[in-house]
Amino acid sequence: MAVNPMTMTILALVYIAITMVIGYIGYKKTKCSEDYLVAGRDSHPVVIALSYGATFISTSAIIGFGGQAANLGMSLIWLTVLNIGVGILLAFVLFGKRTREIGHRLSAVTFPDLMCKLYKSPVLQYIAGFIIVVSMPLYTAAILIGGARFIEPTLGIDYTTSLILFAVITAVYVVFGGLIAVMYTDAFQGTIMLVGMTVLLGLTLIAVGGVTAGCEALTNMAGLVPKALADQGMTGWTSMPALGSPIWFTVITTLVLGVGIGVLAQPQLVVRFMTAKDDKTLNRAILVGGPFILMMTGVAFTVGALSNVYFYNTTGKLAIDAAGGNVDTIIPLFINSAMPDLFVVIFMLTLLAAAMSTLSALYHAMGTALVCDLWGRGRECALSMKAHQFGIVIMMVLSTILAFLLPISIIARATAMFMGLCACAFLPSFAIGVYAKNPSTKAALYSMVSGAVVWFAWTAFFHAAEAKPLGICQAIFGKVTLLGAPWTAVDPIVIALPISMIVMIALQLQYGKEQSAEAAAA
Amino acid sequence: MILGIPDPQILLGYGLAIGFTLACIVYGLLNWNKGGNGNGS
Repeated sequence: MAVNPMTMTILALVYIAITMVIGYIGYKKTKCSEDYLVAGRDSHPVVIALSYGATFISTSAIIGFGGQAANLGMSLIWLTVLNIGVGILLAFVLFGKRTREIGHRLSAVTFPDLMCKLYKSPVLQYIAGFIIVVSMPLYTAAILIGGARFIEPTLGIDYTTSLILFAVITAVYVVFGGLIAVMYTDAFQGTIMLVGMTVLLGLTLIAVGGVTAGCEALTNMAGLVPKALADQGMTGWTSMPALGSPIWFTVITTLVLGVGIGVLAQPQLVVRFMTAKDDKTLNRAILVGGPFILMMTGVAFTVGALSNVYFYNTTGKLAIDAAGGNVDTIIPLFINSAMPDLFVVIFMLTLLAAAMSTLSALYHAMGTALVCDLWGRGRECALSMKAHQFGIVIMMVLSTILAFLLPISIIARATAMFMGLCACAFLPSFAIGVYAKNPSTKAALYSMVSGAVVWFAWTAFFHAAEAKPLGICQAIFGKVTLLGAPWTAVDPIVIALPISMIVMIALQLQYGKEQSAEAAAA
Repeated sequence: MILGIPDPQILLGYGLAIGFTLACIVYGLLNWNKGGNGNGS
């Protein structure tokens, strides 16, 4: 980094101090378990919107997916379309209001608890809690690795210390302040992210000569698409990949659908709907949430693609070549090369804020799932604040250990995997559960299990991007994947989610009436 | 070619991203005071 490390360190310390003060205010406001678990069901609309957005957008969304846009072009803007259309509008209007109302009525405090009360089935709470406790540490570890890899060169702290400090500092305010502290600090961190990304867009457009000139220059670079990418269907940075090509499948199924739909059933986001006092709060939150997401992913993808123009004009290289072939370092390199020193500092804080806001939400969701939904279900201790604090610490330690065991290259992959699994396992049963008059327990159970199992099977045996590093298929069958192209590029969500949905709808039609007759007889 | 982008699918993507954002703002403004009934449904 070009900026003096001492300046960076001082600003990082000021940022952490402010975060801790806000966390302390959250701690002081936390009087009972309901405060700790669902922020007293009385959060401000701006806090809900910024907390939802900042939790949703992690460092990998900015650095990882921004780098992907530099490599694959502006086709990623379709992910922003889904992020806003599905992740905000559909999520808040269709699911948010029902979730809030049902959560209040049934006094649900976690996502698995909501599923249990919707379907009157403790088994569903155990299964949902189990899926969260097993899969969320993977996503958490990816966020920890991303944060530590960023802190290491920026503040000059070695990787191991960076990772432990990052894990512990974030855990402190989550453990003591619960969801109020998490959401307050999210709002502060979301504000920093909004400022950082707005400035980034403005300075990038100046660096490439404006919107039209920059995009025209990028269009004229189509002939420079590397042969390896052109052979796989890439046509340029301002055009979609060739329909049905391997890159088209990667962009549309993994990046756009996988992440765009996956957001709908993420436990740590669903619980934010239950923190709203009334529908008015959610209506107002939508007004803030939409523009916030546009300024996060929309800006990251646009800047990522346009960075090719800057690098080509200044170094004669494409962004990916300038970054030495590492997609994850394109955005940081662009910031360091093209932006003034002051902005490098602002962007450093933006990334730290993005990582901490997601990490804090995951700690809270995992810890409460462990205590409320698995270990303590049905017991008095499940609602004890001390028990939840203990649960968060356990999950924080497990995630940190996992972060040391996983390879660095897992960051973007683990993010997409977690979101895909959540959608396949939870989305159909969650959607039917909040809308059906008599949701069938059997349907939810089979949908959840089939979604998770098919997702895992496709991940381990068919989707090359995961099957190869996992090595399960290789060990059992002696080959990387069971099928050849194009199936190796089709994301698990495209297969597992429709299956989970069909199972849910078919069994709901068969058993829903039976269940309603039983309920009437009782 | 509009704004230097030749592919209508990319332009449509940007149009929808901005359109959905405006829809969020309009929805929020139109429903600013609706649904303020505390815990009720």
